[in-house]
Amino acid sequence: MELYSKTATDLAGMLRQKQCSAVEIANSVFDRMDAVEDRVKAYLTVEKESALAQAARVDEKLAAGEELPPLAGIPVAVKDNICTKGVRTTCASKILENFVPPYNATVVERLKEQDFVMTGKVNLDEFAMGGSCENSAFQKTANPHDLARVPGGSSGGSAAAVAAGEAILSLGSDTGGSIRQPSSFCGLVGLKPTYGAVSRYGLVAFASSLDQIGPLGRSVEDVAMLYRAICGRDPMDATSAALPQAAASWDLEGGVRGLRIGLPWEYFGEGVEEPVKAAVYRAVEELKKAGAEVKEISLGSADYAVSAYYIISSAEASSNLARFDGVKYGYRAPNCEGLTELYERTRSEGFGAEVKRRIMLGTFVLSSGYYDAYYKRAKRLRQRIMGEYEDAFADCDVVITPTAPSTAYKLGERVGDILKMYAGDICTVTVNIAGLPALSVPCGKDENNLPIGMQLIGPKFSEGRLFQTAHTWEKLCGGFNAIPTL
Amino acid sequence: MDYEMIVGLEVHAELKTKTKIYCGCKNEFGAEVNTNCCPICTGMPGTLPTLNEKVVEYAIKMGHATNCSINRICKQDRKNYFYPDLPKAYQISQFDIPLCEHGYLDCIVNENGDTKRIGITRIHIEEDAGKLIHDDSFAGSLVDFNRCGVPLIEIVSEPDIRSVVEAKAYLDTIKSILQYIDVSDCKMQEGSIRCDVNVSVHKPGEPFGTRVEMKNVNSFSGACRAIEYEANRQIEILEQGGEITQETRRWDDMKGCNFLLRSKEDAQDYRYFPEPDLLTIVVEQETVDRLKAELPELPNKKIKRYMEEYGLPHFDSNLLVENIATDRFFEQCIALGVCPPKAIANWLLGDVTRILHEKNIEITETSLTPEKLTDMIALITKGTISNTAGKTVLEEIIFSDKLPEDVVQEKGLAQVSDTSVLEEIAKSVLAANAKAVEDYKGGKTNVIGFLVGQCMRQSKGQGNPAVLKEIILKLIAAE
Amino acid sequence: MKIDIMHLAKLARLRIDESEAAKFEQEMQDIIEMVEQIPELADDYQDVDPNHPMELRADDIRPSFRREELFANAPQMQAGCVVVPKTVE
Repeated sequence: MELYSKTATDLAGMLRQKQCSAVEIANSVFDRMDAVEDRVKAYLTVEKESALAQAARVDEKLAAGEELPPLAGIPVAVKDNICTKGVRTTCASKILENFVPPYNATVVERLKEQDFVMTGKVNLDEFAMGGSCENSAFQKTANPHDLARVPGGSSGGSAAAVAAGEAILSLGSDTGGSIRQPSSFCGLVGLKPTYGAVSRYGLVAFASSLDQIGPLGRSVEDVAMLYRAICGRDPMDATSAALPQAAASWDLEGGVRGLRIGLPWEYFGEGVEEPVKAAVYRAVEELKKAGAEVKEISLGSADYAVSAYYIISSAEASSNLARFDGVKYGYRAPNCEGLTELYERTRSEGFGAEVKRRIMLGTFVLSSGYYDAYYKRAKRLRQRIMGEYEDAFADCDVVITPTAPSTAYKLGERVGDILKMYAGDICTVTVNIAGLPALSVPCGKDENNLPIGMQLIGPKFSEGRLFQTAHTWEKLCGGFNAIPTL
Repeated sequence: MDYEMIVGLEVHAELKTKTKIYCGCKNEFGAEVNTNCCPICTGMPGTLPTLNEKVVEYAIKMGHATNCSINRICKQDRKNYFYPDLPKAYQISQFDIPLCEHGYLDCIVNENGDTKRIGITRIHIEEDAGKLIHDDSFAGSLVDFNRCGVPLIEIVSEPDIRSVVEAKAYLDTIKSILQYIDVSDCKMQEGSIRCDVNVSVHKPGEPFGTRVEMKNVNSFSGACRAIEYEANRQIEILEQGGEITQETRRWDDMKGCNFLLRSKEDAQDYRYFPEPDLLTIVVEQETVDRLKAELPELPNKKIKRYMEEYGLPHFDSNLLVENIATDRFFEQCIALGVCPPKAIANWLLGDVTRILHEKNIEITETSLTPEKLTDMIALITKGTISNTAGKTVLEEIIFSDKLPEDVVQEKGLAQVSDTSVLEEIAKSVLAANAKAVEDYKGGKTNVIGFLVGQCMRQSKGQGNPAVLKEIILKLIAAE
Repeated sequence: MKIDIMHLAKLARLRIDESEAAKFEQEMQDIIEMVEQIPELADDYQDVDPNHPMELRADDIRPSFRREELFANAPQMQAGCVVVPKTVE
């Protein structure tokens, strides 16, 4: 078994037992990149040189007998909307094509303190807007399980890189499902943390009230390890929270005996493909056999959640993306006559179609005369959705749903079909709207041998409980970690 | 029938916190361009604001000083518009829940100390924008982001102002309060306090007219000129049978007139919405109470007290209160209880202020102490030295550690009250001015002043003029 | 409902030509139709949440960035400033 196909947990153990070196791990990952990247196209920027240098430093420290943090020497890919000092951060947009931040995102700082090895920056839908990675201005990433299919999105590069063995772990961001849906499509474990659990400082904002950075990996333990490294209050992010003690500790081996699982029937409706539903039901059955209680619940506002999501996220995006105006950084349209021309041409030439569409929608719902009818209404629905989850968690500990209504679809299949694209978000958006943590874990495959994902949702700061439940399932199903042949 | 103007003012004051409102960069005027900047205040992608606690405190202080109610629970909002000096393309401000609202100010509007109550609609916190530098030698404009994120409070008045005099009184009161409670420097030339003006006119008894807003009013005196101009412009239009249109105009203080900036149809749509990067501001009641307890006596109240308690004229009270350092000195002098407030005020506003102006310094930069000044004044009241000698003493004690008594001794400034010495002087003066003596006897009693003056000159200013006068009268009567 | 695409484009500083405008309008109509299915809810919504107060920052100075480093991404600089086309207020 090649080093690149191992989990971070295994590699961390091997490093400490001197069964391999950090440089060997890094080389294994970069060799794998050489072999498959031209087909997967997960990376926008590869940081081989600095990664190998960092791995060498880790080896030196290990040789000197230093005790290192768990992620030391582990190759991690970073979504290209997370700022990395001195390393190009493009958001997969022409408007930031050559942008090199003079600062690190807080999560990157925290991983640096852990001596992690950054393999590079990975692809996404432009500014994280999309669910297939096809909205990248630079390249289309393929799903390692079927190169003709999308890896999901927006963290498609983060998912594809880990699934293909081009990284051991990755960081993604999730505004409406952008970590969980690609994790589902690529057969990975992916966590969207509680809103406020992870600092957003340095994450190029899409929708500030919904965005969270989170980990993707090939095992529950790996994802938990990366989450532990990045979570916690950051004075640079006013919306970040001090984690309750219970939220930062968990027992993966705790089992599910007595765990109350809620199945909201609205999430198993006709919009969800049969094989997906069947796979999730099978997994829930296994958990029930292992001692969990299962009950059907109702989350009534699910049907309208996508609408509320598009209003709130687009409104915030229209404001967040206004700063890309050609003045201070990024693309500037050449030979402009006046200020208005500079703004309009820079933004029209610099942004892709989906981004412009959302800016227009967001501008509309905030504009004079429409604010109450749209934005305010969406905020009220948001409050309703939060209340429904609160009620649900009075009766159960974990809510289980499919992560996505379908498995990975073919590249190009849904391009231009806006409503179909948006409908893909129905299972995931309520979690962002309510600020809850949710974990996607593999739960079998469909008839095309494509991975299916199951979503575990918990109350705020219940990440530990989600890890514990997911790990139980991981053991019941014999483990997730399998890199497809490419 | 005459027109009446209806004026509302929006004052923007920069707060003198150490750091900016949403990042730790220095809040400082006059630094080299673009050096007090970081990724946050230049709006770089991924950066987030964190609110400076002092901004909240300073704004609440001003709220208390203007009798506002404090919204302990409030929020911030984004005001979206594109301009090169606004790097995020939105200004973080407050929209529907300002930190302070529903206040008022009693402004002194005349010499009698009569006040006019002007309502304060709201006070909210927000960030300043950067500066655009225009240079004719160059085809573009330059952006300096140093001022981006400098904390501002916007103080919005009710349309309660009815004249330029009231506007001036209101603005002066706002400025002196900001300085008294120590939250803003109010340096006009540095643009640390600016205002927007709303003007309409109507005939009393009729509904208010259409309102016109004026921007770019960069000084308080400019504001008064702008109001005067705009009211006259509107009256002229109405008199010619025209109509006022709701619009925003730009004041040009150099030219003394204003120009149309945008009409109502082009009104900006700022698309306000709650700032998602910041949580709810919750100020503890104890903090609100503490800030109220910490407020000093406010200048407009103080002016009234000086007039009523000390019998000072409005003009003098105002002058004293205007300069915080001098006023503090004045109060310290009073507290010593050595001499009457009026005499202290006269000296402080007269010779002391003159010397300070000449040297361009504050009273705190001198060696003068309340003890020294009151001792000196007491020497005059006791008759030990003359008023003229007092001036000499002041010149000495203001820049040295010398005590007034020492100077009097050293320079021999004590008044001569010894009648035998003074009689000799008076005799010689009368002998030399026989004509004046004749005039006096002929009924021109005012020559006595001249004669006393001559005696003073002979005594080199040390004669006690009151004693001298007595002696002269006695000598003439005896002739 | 008629959506004024050109007005919105102006507000958002985007340039949209006629052919694009029609497409945008259709797409936005679709989205808005979807949005209009949201039920009317009682207006008990509060934009403030006193249960989650914000921690404020102490007024302590942090070093600013070096100008050359901070503006390394700027498209055009002169005399330490970012250059933009001439603005007239």
